[in-house]
Amino acid sequence: MKGKNALIFCVFVLFLTGQFSLDFSRVHASNERYKVSSNDSVPSLQDIIDKAKPGDRIVLAEPKYSGPVVINKRLEILGSENVLLINDKPEPAITIQADGVTVHDINVLQKHAGEESTAVHVQADRVTIRNLKIRTRGFGILLRNAENCILENNNITWDTSQGKSAIGQKGNGIDLFKSNHNRIANNKISNMRDGIYLDNSKSLDIVENMIFGSRYGIHCMYIDGTKIVGNIGEYNMTGAMIMGVRDVLISDNSFAKQKNNANSQGILLYDVQTSIVQKNSIEGNRVGIYLERSSQNKLSHNSIYRNFVGIQFVNAENNIIQNNDFVANVIESEANDSQSNQIEHNFWDSAKVLDTNHDGNSEIKYSINPFYRNLISETPAYQLFFQSPGISFLSGMYEHDQNSWTTDSSPRMKLNQPAIISSTIADKRLLPEKTFLLIIASMLLLISGLTIIYSRGSKT
Amino acid sequence: MSDMLQVAKKEIKVGFRNPWAYSFLVLFSVFSLSLLLINSQNEISGYSGVTGSMLSLILYLLPLMSLFLGSFSLTAEKEEGSWQLLSTYPLGTLSFMLGKYFGLSVVLLTIISFGYGLMGIVTVLVGKMFEVNTYLLFLSFSCGLVLLFLALALWIGTLAKNRWQALTISVMIWFFTVIAWPTILIAVLGFLPYLWIKPLLVIFTFLNPAEFVRLFVVIKLGGGSVLGPEYYQWVGWIHSASGSFSFFVLFLVWLLFSLTCVCWIWERRRSRA
Repeated sequence: MKGKNALIFCVFVLFLTGQFSLDFSRVHASNERYKVSSNDSVPSLQDIIDKAKPGDRIVLAEPKYSGPVVINKRLEILGSENVLLINDKPEPAITIQADGVTVHDINVLQKHAGEESTAVHVQADRVTIRNLKIRTRGFGILLRNAENCILENNNITWDTSQGKSAIGQKGNGIDLFKSNHNRIANNKISNMRDGIYLDNSKSLDIVENMIFGSRYGIHCMYIDGTKIVGNIGEYNMTGAMIMGVRDVLISDNSFAKQKNNANSQGILLYDVQTSIVQKNSIEGNRVGIYLERSSQNKLSHNSIYRNFVGIQFVNAENNIIQNNDFVANVIESEANDSQSNQIEHNFWDSAKVLDTNHDGNSEIKYSINPFYRNLISETPAYQLFFQSPGISFLSGMYEHDQNSWTTDSSPRMKLNQPAIISSTIADKRLLPEKTFLLIIASMLLLISGLTIIYSRGSKT
Repeated sequence: MSDMLQVAKKEIKVGFRNPWAYSFLVLFSVFSLSLLLINSQNEISGYSGVTGSMLSLILYLLPLMSLFLGSFSLTAEKEEGSWQLLSTYPLGTLSFMLGKYFGLSVVLLTIISFGYGLMGIVTVLVGKMFEVNTYLLFLSFSCGLVLLFLALALWIGTLAKNRWQALTISVMIWFFTVIAWPTILIAVLGFLPYLWIKPLLVIFTFLNPAEFVRLFVVIKLGGGSVLGPEYYQWVGWIHSASGSFSFFVLFLVWLLFSLTCVCWIWERRRSRA
């Protein structure tokens, strides 16, 4: 199934890149104010911008323009899905230095490779960048000291036409530094270093972006008061890496299948205080949620499925872990030097529970037996024994130092959130399940019944 | 061939006269209904802790059942003297052994089908949902277990002199392969160099039918990451088509090897007697 997912992902990437080549091949023409005559040579976009007055709207009609361009007055630049801006210089393809600039519907190809190379560089406020399809050999969109900007529906991907690159050589998809109050929504980012990198920027909205095949999906440092909501990350090394922040909301995100790296996590929280992590779905990662040096956070209503380690605490104290669902995690919880976390009302699929007063919570507390974790942390090869009957037998005998075990004071009887449908099971439904089951079951019963009757009745 | 069929027919007939078969039938039916009850509390598709405990329950009961029925059937031949009589007939040992095996498999598979059939129908009638995929995988898991442990049972029946011995050895083998397996391996492998542990563990796993059938089902049920980073290639491999095929080959090799050895022992004893 892993192979199948990888295939789907490849097809997806091919689709994305294929999209570009199709876009480039078609020719489309429309203009409002500036008609650009078609020459054999590729027209320079900078010439057009230099001729425009502040407040003008430029509609690009040619299929190709050459970069780089610097926009230093308030303009609206509108392309179409067939307009391509090619830049093979080291400077950014588009540099925006004036407030209130809007750029949309342009394909941008930043061919120059290198640490400093960037497709779009924003150094002004209230800039809107929408529907850009960026292929780059450096960074995607860079915001420096830019406030109140909107980055929406952009598609940023690493340019593989000049061969493959190691992750260290790549740039980030969207990269913010000292840029507050910006909105980043509905962008698709694939195969970059960090999908969205946020540094020293406050009060951002990171909403419904999709990030694939990058190192960290969302990587943030010092971004107090930011909302990270509804993003999807798959096949990255780590879904969201959140460091050194306060009052952040991380909600309704989905981070799945991040396990190809030995240190990959769904959500990593390092030095995070007073933040809320809720309703995220975290499936099939090495570590679902990792908390280090973090306190007074509230983690609730997350679905943590099929991770190798469900939740891991390192020096994390006074957090509230409530109403989460832990299903089929090999090691449900791991804690080092982390006392006084309040863990309650979570659903643990392997907990023994009993509800006597029908409030939906178990009266028996659930302590997670660390025997198996200790066993496989010494010798990972023993992972083959996962949930083997003999291991439950062995762990049952291990009762050492129960007070230090991670304990849920009152586990839930049922799932807190609707179950995540596993893609491995859901894709095989031809007949209506019930009929099919009925047919099989009746056949089995009939055949066995007949065999018994026949063999008892027959004469030798 | 016809000899083999005769032996198999007789085995089926005797098998269904045997009160043991019915007590197991009842036991397994009750048991499968309880599995249904357990599963009805499970809202999660694919692998979860509940599926894990269902697998464990099956692992407790089915191997024991096939070991008892299989080994008793062979020792009965010795104790009641029917083998001594059959030895004087022109009946090949191979036909005899294969007949025994097929006959017993039919008896055991009938018991399992009855249990699962009942469970399936009750599922549909009560309206509780059991995913067809999981149901079929559990059914094949049970059949696989029974067939492999039946081969082990023939070994036991061959080596034991009478039913009491067979009973003792059966319980021992069951305890060793199902319950004490990790304990013993962890204890023994702990003395060996670290790098030997994984390859040896893999080899031992292939030797224990309970373990390799269980692992196959766990991975097939989508417990992809449950085996951890150490065995990612395994998971990918088992999910591919060649994985199922290789599993089937391993299964056949296991059966053929056991049956050949057992046949050889009986043939040797026959020629010496």
